[in-house]
Amino acid sequence: MSVAGGCLLPICRGSDMAVLRPSSEHELAEMVRAAAADRHTLEIIGAGTKRALGRPVRADACLDLSALRGIISYDAEELVLCAASGTPLEEIAAELAAHRQCLGFDPADWGPLFGVPARGGTIGGALAADVSGSRRLLHGAAREHLLGIRAVNGWGKAYKAGGKVVKNVTGFDISKLMCGSLGILGPLSEVTLRLLPKPEHSACLVVRGLEPEQGLHLLGRIWREPLEASALVYLPNAVLEHFDLGGSGEAGLALLRVEGSTEALNDKRMRLRALLESLRVEELAHGDQLLTAAANGSVFASAALDVWRMTVPPSTSAEVAAALVGTLWYADWAGGLFWIATSRDTLSAAAGLERICARAQGQLQLLRADEGQRRGFPARPSGGQGVIQLMRTVKSAFDPLALFNPGRMYEGL
Amino acid sequence: MQLAPPDPSILARRDRIIADLQRLLPGAIVHEPAGLATYDSDALSAYRQRPLACALPANKDEVSTLLAYAAEQNLPVVPRGAGTSLSGGALPRPDGIVIGLARMNRILEIDLENRCAVVEPGVTNLAVTRAVEGDGFYYAPDPSSQVACTIGGNVAENSGGLHCLKYGITTNNLLGVELALPGGERVRLGGKALALGGLDLLGIVTGSEGLLGIAVEATLRLRPRPPVTRTLLVAFDTVAAAGRCVADIIGAGIIPAAMEFMDRRAADAVESYCAPGYPQHAEAILIIELDGVEGEVRDGVARVEHIAGTCGASLVRLAANEAERARIWAGRKAAFAATGKIAPDMLCMDGTIPRRALSDMLAAIAAMSARYGLAFCNVFHAGDGNLHPLILFDAMREGELARAEAFGAEILTLCVKMGGVLSGEHGIGVEKRDLMGAMFDEEDLAQQQRLKCAIDPKRLLNPDKVFPTLSACVEQGHMHVSGGRLPFANLPRF
Ligand SMILES: Cc1cc2nc3c(=O)[nH]c(=O)nc-3n(C[C@H](O)[C@H](O)[C@H](O)COP(=O)(O)OP(=O)(O)OC[C@H]3O[C@@H](n4cnc5c(N)ncnc54)[C@H](O)[C@@H]3O)c2cc1C
Repeated sequence: MSVAGGCLLPICRGSDMAVLRPSSEHELAEMVRAAAADRHTLEIIGAGTKRALGRPVRADACLDLSALRGIISYDAEELVLCAASGTPLEEIAAELAAHRQCLGFDPADWGPLFGVPARGGTIGGALAADVSGSRRLLHGAAREHLLGIRAVNGWGKAYKAGGKVVKNVTGFDISKLMCGSLGILGPLSEVTLRLLPKPEHSACLVVRGLEPEQGLHLLGRIWREPLEASALVYLPNAVLEHFDLGGSGEAGLALLRVEGSTEALNDKRMRLRALLESLRVEELAHGDQLLTAAANGSVFASAALDVWRMTVPPSTSAEVAAALVGTLWYADWAGGLFWIATSRDTLSAAAGLERICARAQGQLQLLRADEGQRRGFPARPSGGQGVIQLMRTVKSAFDPLALFNPGRMYEGL
Repeated sequence: MQLAPPDPSILARRDRIIADLQRLLPGAIVHEPAGLATYDSDALSAYRQRPLACALPANKDEVSTLLAYAAEQNLPVVPRGAGTSLSGGALPRPDGIVIGLARMNRILEIDLENRCAVVEPGVTNLAVTRAVEGDGFYYAPDPSSQVACTIGGNVAENSGGLHCLKYGITTNNLLGVELALPGGERVRLGGKALALGGLDLLGIVTGSEGLLGIAVEATLRLRPRPPVTRTLLVAFDTVAAAGRCVADIIGAGIIPAAMEFMDRRAADAVESYCAPGYPQHAEAILIIELDGVEGEVRDGVARVEHIAGTCGASLVRLAANEAERARIWAGRKAAFAATGKIAPDMLCMDGTIPRRALSDMLAAIAAMSARYGLAFCNVFHAGDGNLHPLILFDAMREGELARAEAFGAEILTLCVKMGGVLSGEHGIGVEKRDLMGAMFDEEDLAQQQRLKCAIDPKRLLNPDKVFPTLSACVEQGHMHVSGGRLPFANLPRF
């Protein structure tokens, strides 16, 4: 067991936290047992790329999972991969690409948004923060692709849940609970994922000259067509300069991506053009890069702005956009996701955004802000006190001493 | 199978409880033996028990009222939709009440702008699609029981269907649930927005088999109907060749909308039951469906035909029109009923294995069949490795049920050994409860039970189901005593 006192790892530099860096699940469980005995709280990190996301944690020690690393098994024929939770996403992506496969939840890379180099994250972190990208619209979130886990609970006991096959309803679906849990239920040690074949070809179309209402309306219409669009993004004029799109005009634009075999693409293009009627449509060669930039929020990476994500029912998107006038934003997921940037008066911006979000029956997440502001922002789930109470109850079943990432999700959770 | 003995103190209060229930929900309580008989079992009819009473609430508030009363009286509660569970999930208790949700069968809202429908739990699965198909939409999970089974039951079992290979099972098509917790309090989990925020409670409730709460409303994702659907009937001379074909199709990066397998005995039974025109003497049949836009489907069909050819298919027939397509599917959907004609009783297994193990598994089942002296046939969702071996027996013959169960247990245990799982879509219920140990160790099960106990500390909701041990919740802390010392000795134990 290696207990590196005094912050030897770069990731925890600047704090005086002790760092625990288990190299096996067995060691991980031992460390948690020891922490439990001393009532030491733990901040769980993978590569630490999203430490500055959302509510900050104050803990007694840092539990660094980056040494739990490596692909444990990859069965390309079954489209199933099992990896240690600290395995870099890059390593997994490279291995999958060699077999023309990919992770179904299309993980985004939010590192640069938090001032750390790109492509640094781990699979465990991507799942725990649910960084689902543009394809979430078509293939679902991280939860849809995590088949099984191994993890350690607050008693310091290792356990498993789920399985390693694509269809399974045996026992409670604890894997789902882990996606987006921000580590508050304890460290994952191993994850088994369902994979998808990489789309053979993709076409990214751009429709220019659309005002927000028009553009968002168009995304909704396409989403309701049987085209299986794998990205439906709207960029208002104000953010265009940050994307490499050439000649920004007066209004915003819509980015649409469809995928499949050559024949499939031809048909989808034809249907799209018929749907778009008189609108001018161009095909973009570098559409994938633009969509990745949108999913990564890289537009807002360098500016000194707070960054938010708001998820809403797509039908409310035009209304949300109208309420956001004067604010920097763009929309992904057919208008179901708004990326928003505000100047650094976080709490007053929060009040405004929460009102808009409540009206749309959506969900607001503060991604990036000064630490003090993030601590002060009262994040909460939709559904009110009853839901938070139930989350507390669930948390107590995994972490009765509240050792893991205290306060990371909500006040006291 | 050992069920916990009924609580005599509850049985002694029977009349009182029925009077209370009638006062709380006038006209909605079934308690006469004739009426109650309906609720004695679900589709796993080998297990039967008469409940104390059955309450049929008409709305959410009545569900809450019942749950509050049950909590106050320490009365076990078994939720029930249509009673089509194949794992005994809705099996009642003599000292408990059934809460039947079939009367809550309204579609509350169809919101095509957001591609969703909001429904009460007693709405049948098919009713959802029926309500939106005129507008070109459908609800994708389509269990073969879809005419009868309810959305509440689907949520509880996380049910699949013929088309879940491409479109996912219930959990992947469910946006929100309003849940009545033990004690009656209600929470709304999820909604029309894509992300929920916070812990994924919706995810854990889906597939929880009625152990964590009663779904009183559900928000379902609708999909636009693909413009083109083509169906292929493919026959093979050997089961192994069919298995290889399945693996090759998936391996080639093709995701058909459905890929179903039937062995010879199943196909023959179906042929004489409803004559769907399946080829005679084929050892295995695959039904492969592709959907999407025209070019996509044309391309997919060509590739599947090619792969089937390289795997030595003896017949590859593309349904020429909608009538022929419907006939091919009618046969598959009648498989359970048809098997019912060739044997008095049947047990339907539900394990999943890695696809590549298909032919080994089928050979192993054939060997077991000889050993147990019981016939079987195989009908299953081949695309995702979800097996439904149907074990044929006659419960009137001494010892056959026990033998059939042992046969089934051996199949499921082998599924786990091959890297698979006990249940792909039917749930654990009482049927596979005692096999959970084959897949999960003590710590795995303890963690699941802690979750159950945290939410339902009195364990009143669907007791006896899913977990093999009947220990009370106080023991679920499951602390290991190491070196004679209890960890965290000063902490309260739940
Ligand atoms: C012929 C036949 C074919 C089938 N085919 C398939 C198939 O292809 N795929 C598949 O997945 N399943 C299949 N099934 C199994 C079964 O239909 C499903 O499990 C279905 O979802 C059960 O729904 P139900 O309304 O009948 O629920 P019930 O049988 O009444 O109950 C099932 C479980 O859900 C709980 N429950 C019911 N309603 C609620 C609620 N509102 N809130 C909380 N808990 C609740 C019950 O307590 C029980 O544990 C089939 C069954 C039959 C008989």
